[in-house]
Amino acid sequence: MNMKKLSIALLLISVMYPAVAQNILIKNGTVLTVTKGVLVNTDVLVKDGKISQLGKNITAPTGYRILDASGKFVMPGIIDAHSHEGIDAINEWSTPVTAEVFVGDALNPFQISLYRALAGGVTTIHTMHGSANAIGGQCETIKLRYGVKDPKELIMNGAPRTIKFALGENPTRVHGGGNAIVPRTRMGVEFVMRESFSKAKEYSAAWDTYTKNKTQKGFRGTPPEYNYRLETLAEVLKGNILIHCHSYRADEIYMMLNVCKDFGIKKIVFQHVNEGFKVAPELAAFGAMASVFSDWWAYKFEVYYSTAYNAAILTRNGVTTSINSDDPELMRHLYHEASKTQKYGGLKDEEALALITINPAKQLGIEDRVGSIEVGKEADISIFSAHPLSIYAVPLITIVDGVVRFDREKDPDDMRIYVDPRAEIDMADFTEGHDHDRCMQGAEDMFDTLFRTN
Amino acid sequence: MRRLTYISSLLFMVMGSIAYAQSPKAKQGTYVLTNATIETITQGVIQNGAVVITNGKIAAVGTTVAVPAGAETIDCKGLWIYPGMIDAATKVGLSEIESDPRTKDFNEVGDVIPQMKALTAINPNSAHIAVTRVSGVTTVLTNPDGDIIPGTAALINLHGYTPDQMFAGFEGIVLNFPKAGRKGVADKRTDDEIKKEYDKKIEKLNDTWEKAVQYHKLDSATKSNGLAYYPEMKALLPVVRGQMALLVRADAAKDILAALKWVGDRKVKRVIFTGVAEGWRVADELVKANIPVIAGPILALPSREYDHYDKAYANPGLMKKAGVKVAIGTYEDRGNVRNLPYHAGFAAAYGMGREEALKAITIVPAEIFGVQDALGSIEVGKNATLFVSDGDPLEPKTTIRYVFINGWNIPLVSRQTELYDEFLNREPGAGGR
Amino acid sequence: METFYHKITVVFLVLIAFVPAWGQEERELGSVSRTYAITNVTIIQSPGRQVDGGTLVIKDGLIKSVGKNIAVPPEAIIIKGDSLFVYAGFIDGLSRVGVVKPREEIREKIKDPGNPPPDRAGISPYVDVRNFLNTADKNIEELRAIGFTTAHVVPYGGMLPGQSAIISLAGKSADDMVLVPVSSLYSELTPNERVYPVTVIGVMAKWRELYRQAVQAKSYEAVYASNRSGLEPPATNRILVSFNPVIDKRIPVLFKAEKFLDIQRVLALQSDLGFSLLAGDIKEGWDATTKLKASGTKVFLSLDLPEDKKKDDKKSEEKKDTITVEKDQLEKRKDEFMAKHVGQAFAYQQAGISFGFATLSVKTRDIQPNLRRMIKAGLTEDQALAALTINSAQLLGLSDRLGSLDPGKIANVIISERPYFHEKSKVKYVFVEGVPYKLDSKDSKKEESKIQLEGDWSLTATTPQGKSESTLNITKTEGKYKGKLSGNQLTETAEVNEIKLEGRKLNFSCLINVQGQQMKITIDATVEGDFFKGTVQVEGADSFPVEGKKVPKLNR
Repeated sequence: MNMKKLSIALLLISVMYPAVAQNILIKNGTVLTVTKGVLVNTDVLVKDGKISQLGKNITAPTGYRILDASGKFVMPGIIDAHSHEGIDAINEWSTPVTAEVFVGDALNPFQISLYRALAGGVTTIHTMHGSANAIGGQCETIKLRYGVKDPKELIMNGAPRTIKFALGENPTRVHGGGNAIVPRTRMGVEFVMRESFSKAKEYSAAWDTYTKNKTQKGFRGTPPEYNYRLETLAEVLKGNILIHCHSYRADEIYMMLNVCKDFGIKKIVFQHVNEGFKVAPELAAFGAMASVFSDWWAYKFEVYYSTAYNAAILTRNGVTTSINSDDPELMRHLYHEASKTQKYGGLKDEEALALITINPAKQLGIEDRVGSIEVGKEADISIFSAHPLSIYAVPLITIVDGVVRFDREKDPDDMRIYVDPRAEIDMADFTEGHDHDRCMQGAEDMFDTLFRTN
Repeated sequence: MRRLTYISSLLFMVMGSIAYAQSPKAKQGTYVLTNATIETITQGVIQNGAVVITNGKIAAVGTTVAVPAGAETIDCKGLWIYPGMIDAATKVGLSEIESDPRTKDFNEVGDVIPQMKALTAINPNSAHIAVTRVSGVTTVLTNPDGDIIPGTAALINLHGYTPDQMFAGFEGIVLNFPKAGRKGVADKRTDDEIKKEYDKKIEKLNDTWEKAVQYHKLDSATKSNGLAYYPEMKALLPVVRGQMALLVRADAAKDILAALKWVGDRKVKRVIFTGVAEGWRVADELVKANIPVIAGPILALPSREYDHYDKAYANPGLMKKAGVKVAIGTYEDRGNVRNLPYHAGFAAAYGMGREEALKAITIVPAEIFGVQDALGSIEVGKNATLFVSDGDPLEPKTTIRYVFINGWNIPLVSRQTELYDEFLNREPGAGGR
Repeated sequence: METFYHKITVVFLVLIAFVPAWGQEERELGSVSRTYAITNVTIIQSPGRQVDGGTLVIKDGLIKSVGKNIAVPPEAIIIKGDSLFVYAGFIDGLSRVGVVKPREEIREKIKDPGNPPPDRAGISPYVDVRNFLNTADKNIEELRAIGFTTAHVVPYGGMLPGQSAIISLAGKSADDMVLVPVSSLYSELTPNERVYPVTVIGVMAKWRELYRQAVQAKSYEAVYASNRSGLEPPATNRILVSFNPVIDKRIPVLFKAEKFLDIQRVLALQSDLGFSLLAGDIKEGWDATTKLKASGTKVFLSLDLPEDKKKDDKKSEEKKDTITVEKDQLEKRKDEFMAKHVGQAFAYQQAGISFGFATLSVKTRDIQPNLRRMIKAGLTEDQALAALTINSAQLLGLSDRLGSLDPGKIANVIISERPYFHEKSKVKYVFVEGVPYKLDSKDSKKEESKIQLEGDWSLTATTPQGKSESTLNITKTEGKYKGKLSGNQLTETAEVNEIKLEGRKLNFSCLINVQGQQMKITIDATVEGDFFKGTVQVEGADSFPVEGKKVPKLNR
């Protein structure tokens, strides 16, 4: 490489990674706090990655970067409670229970989808194991600190552990249909849940007994064999790992609530939950939460009886509801997805915005840190050209932990962090519609051939 | 056997469910919509105006109109009137549930089968029809899909019980122009294999056209009397003669360029380009060829990893700016064709502007399809295919208050609204029996 | 170990029997004496330690003396160095040279893919690579021909293929080649096709479970050994026991980690479980230096580099349309990353990490050009040499035996015409454990011109199903060889678009159609007159021996 090329390359790099933590004053915007109403002509002071002050006419201390938000809208960074971006492996589909696997092991900070989401105002995502298994793997909550290379730097440290469960067609088709292994039906799915929890209970009991006896003098005994899967499930039973359960039909959601009751599980978030609206009172009574699509349906039989009014019905029945993407394309305009609840059910602005901010934060157990604009919270902030629920709104700036990670004004085309020197330049990839669950990525071939005989 | 039973019971459920999709009934009559803001699209905005609907047509538009006797007046104070939105790229009626091939009728066997007609297979009782039209999308192009020439697409209105009742006056033959490049990262073919496959398809396409031209000459010479049954060529005849449009799907820049050359070399008379995801890359060439496009989907990812993140949103605006005639389609197969105004909305926000974006889903597709005398704007003499909303239809906050298709006042009911009505306050609520 | 004398003869016999390519290596060199003196030669004892016009004496497999004014023992066979250069033999930090790939058996479908037998799941840490060594593997010879004398070799397999060994690149039997048995536990983050684990996250979870179970089993074993009465006997589990030397830190885990994220994942396992780590075949590790250094990981960088395609620099002033401008921008980014690949070794050097090299995934013929590319990108010749010799020896714990030309060390020696990294440099002799291998130094161009490829060749591939015959018709146009492959078992004639001939090395690949199934085959062979011998590699499957014989032209 000659010197000229090198200098251009260096220039590119410096443009791409301006990501230094800064103290920022966002001036004079319409601040949609989500939890504390709308504050017009208000300044937001960001110091050391946190929101340190909210108010009118704040004077910036020296050294602060000033972002003029006059005529613009400032909202908390968007949170996606269901994504599969930023990871290289999604489905360990080989067996119906894989609690021991953890997508955090396969984080990939180089995926361009992370940047594209950032350009859609998203700052935090729950990147999940797929839905091939009744009990899938553990998920990871990450922040879109696009530009970092070490996968560990994506992790939102301290966010609660979560695990993916899945009901209905996906696990029954992969395991029952594909491999003639239970579950082939929704009855089987319930059995797999109950069997796994029962075994995990036995396992912890055996360890408790062993540990207790071991302290006694002259103890002689054999420890139970270490089992990573049961070890993980025992943590689920203890409430140390939060269940996020892929589900569609009302009957299976109800079933899962009963399983939780029987095993003393207090918290559960249902994912997709297209027929959640049918059991909204039951979900509310249990305290279960729901993370739904705005309007996606009819991609398979179990979502044929869906309604775009789902989020509104759930909200009106007192269920803490979020709108998620499960998709790298939807993920870039969750603000728009949320706005559809105004058409389908007439949610108020604050309710609609809560669906993509404080509510998903609650579902991930991070509501004390993110999801609203409040003093003391982490400075995850998106600035929009218009009200984010308007179709004409364009995200302009996205800040994660006080670092400007996206700025539409200074935004080169090619944002790849790693480039394959062998790559074909002229390669295009075309997506059209949403033909299947992203949830099934990597496991599509494992579906039975029941519906594919021609 | 057991599988068969399962499948048939499944089909039964699907059919059973759609039995009520069109109730309650639509009503045709004479209507006067008064006190409205009318966005005519072609004739500007009329404040405090009225639209008179008689015999399925727009009889009058303006601030002062003659009200026919016996007309039902609908007070549209605070409301807006728009022409029905046209989604120029769907599979509505040919596709019910994605994962179930038995509910899909758009992909017949064969690589060159122009004689397969979408119009005959459209299910007028598809659940998607009501879901779509209550959002103001009144008219859609329904496409077959598959290999090189998968069939003939049809423009339909989303109301009616037979194909003839639904037909909206345009048919076109679909050509999926062969893709020269890799389809994406998941495409694991070698360069050689890609080239081989491409060459083979191009050869087949060239051969098809050559034969069609030959057929046309002989058909003319024999005055349509001497030729043996040849359904493929017969179907292509109107395209060769310029009586029917060829809908050429091409997305990658180099495929668009190849397709432009192909239709140019053959002097194909009526051509519409579809998809054109990378149209912005070759916009000047599209302008030179004077070929209109149906761009979409707009709510999509950029086609290349290194492209600017907003390229799919900005594509229609960039093409329009260069001088291309641009309509917008969702390219949704079925369930979310209702999002057409939001595809247009994103195009508007990312450079196209509201006015042009609105045209791109009304008058522009009507012109491209040659049905501008019937659809696409609020003008006297056009079909009374329109809707009334409480605001800008591109804004999600806006709700649709009335939908008229050919003067039929469509009840704003779909399975999705019925579920809402039933379950918002469920009875019995929580608790035991 | 057998006597050296015996060894030499057998080695030569082996060479003559199996590899006609080097048939002209001269037998008499070995038979008279086991003492050699290379005189009046430039000796690079180790990077930076050079003796001009010195003498190197080898005796009984070891280096006897090095320096100026060294007495030449009377029994020494003398090699006149004159313009030659002497180096310590190179060490390959991770490869499969000499390792046989086990035949893929036709396997029954596993009924429960969640619980496959361990060997089907790629879990066979008890496998010892020594069971798969083949002294006649032609790769041994090829690698030796460019100066490698030692290699750290690993078995084929999935996530835990087995135990590695450090071998000398010559020997009459597997045991004879082995320098250090069970030198590490080899692992890859490779998931299985259709049985658990099928993903990298499954592999990592399974790894943790096995390791923790092994720790548990080991400690229970100890408890049981101290007092057996009243305790259930521990299970004997070959898999878990294989971890014991790792748990005791007697051996490291050798992980293949090509990409930046592989490195991160391997480091995550290491930090969870605490084993010593060797990371091998690193290809995209330029951003991982800090973390690797902090973790004390030993690294072997891949000698593989992305091909440097010569761009036809069209300096045309034709109009710069958007597409051309865009392409230029993208080419720049590709160049930027090509520079990172080629500059990786230099980056490690700058970061102060001692590294070696691995040949696991590089074609032998690319090794020298790639080393030169790395040097051009900033690595000094001394640094490259250190990586190939003294650093590798140290990383593998062999510095008392290998890595430099010092008295008492094993006589692994390279003698080259011109300095090794010179573009026209050629290795003339290689000594492995004091045994000389004289290498062909004829000008390869000359040979190429002597070889008449054009015409019909009859090909015989030896597969487990028997011999497979076919005919290859080679033609030459504009200095390029092309061919057509036909035969009874081929459904249609296969076009061979390019046949490469470099020196006597023949290489080509083509798509063949066997009963409607397309497959890609690659043939690598060495031509000797009207005869060639080599291997045919079926893509994604096995490789088989193949021979070609020129069909005499009929005079009409």
